[in-house]
Amino acid sequence: MAAFASLGTQTADLIPSGKAHLRDTTQDGTRALEAFLAGVERKAFRIAQIALRHEADALDVVQDAMMQLSSRYASRPAQEWKPLFYRILENRVRDVQRRRSVRNRVMSYMPWRGEDEEEAVDPVEQAVDQAPLPPAQLESDEAMAALEQAIAALPTRQRQAFLLRNFEGMDVAETAAAMKCSPGSVKTHYFRALQALRAKLGEFRT
Amino acid sequence: MIGDDTPEGDSEFERRTRALLLQSADQLPGAVRSRLTQARHAALAARSQRGPSITRRWMPLGAAVAAALALLIVYVPHGRSPLENPVPGAGLEDIELLSDTDAVPLNGDQDVDYDFYEWAAAEAAGAAGPAVGS
Repeated sequence: MAAFASLGTQTADLIPSGKAHLRDTTQDGTRALEAFLAGVERKAFRIAQIALRHEADALDVVQDAMMQLSSRYASRPAQEWKPLFYRILENRVRDVQRRRSVRNRVMSYMPWRGEDEEEAVDPVEQAVDQAPLPPAQLESDEAMAALEQAIAALPTRQRQAFLLRNFEGMDVAETAAAMKCSPGSVKTHYFRALQALRAKLGEFRT
Repeated sequence: MIGDDTPEGDSEFERRTRALLLQSADQLPGAVRSRLTQARHAALAARSQRGPSITRRWMPLGAAVAAALALLIVYVPHGRSPLENPVPGAGLEDIELLSDTDAVPLNGDQDVDYDFYEWAAAEAAGAAGPAVGS
């Protein structure tokens, strides 16, 4: 917060003293954008992480989306930010997936590709925490892992519709704007996603 | 259930999955939360340090070029076809001039009666003063 406070001061210093109303407007806009980003960043990270199954890539994608929204679309009305942000995020996710796909295809043709060229795995990251988890936590973690796997296996549009509607809590119109499709398509994708998840995670049903 | 915009219309399955996902977002590791905060600050800093957009930066130059082009189009004469009549409505006027038998001939000296004009000048001079030959 201290960093943000100093940022606001720096921004205000750029505006001449005779234009105090502009300074107030800029500060209000920055505060609103900061609040918006703070409100979506964790969910955005989880959405990217589920799609990419990679923490560092997910963080990069969220940062890119924040940067782009802030630098290009901050002047848009605040109610447009959420669909725009998630559209940017999904585009970035797709970019990373394409890059991976190309890299994997190229690497598959390399005859000298050995195990030592595989991505180095951080042993600390991979280490299993030996502390016993409480039964409720364990059950919750297992359920989350199963849910995450099932969501990741959905077709892209179904995954988007499910996460934006169910997790992010966007309404049909906002989801349609974020996915660049019609509200009817959103409903269809969401319904199919629910059917597929129910088929895989039957035990979630009550 | 399809098309419901309110969480109240959700099934138990939807509520359960949402609760799990929200819980996972709330329990992110500290390192991830810190990276997200840094990313947010970086995005806000980039916004505050951003100059005018490319469109706004190049707009005056674009306007000047457009104005110069407009002036060129208006004031610079364009290549015309030689058959094109440069003066609108001049065709009829030309025909009248050519068909007028009382007008001064336009086709050079060949039809000019110089003897008549010399005689007329001499007559005029004679009327004004004594004749040259007398």
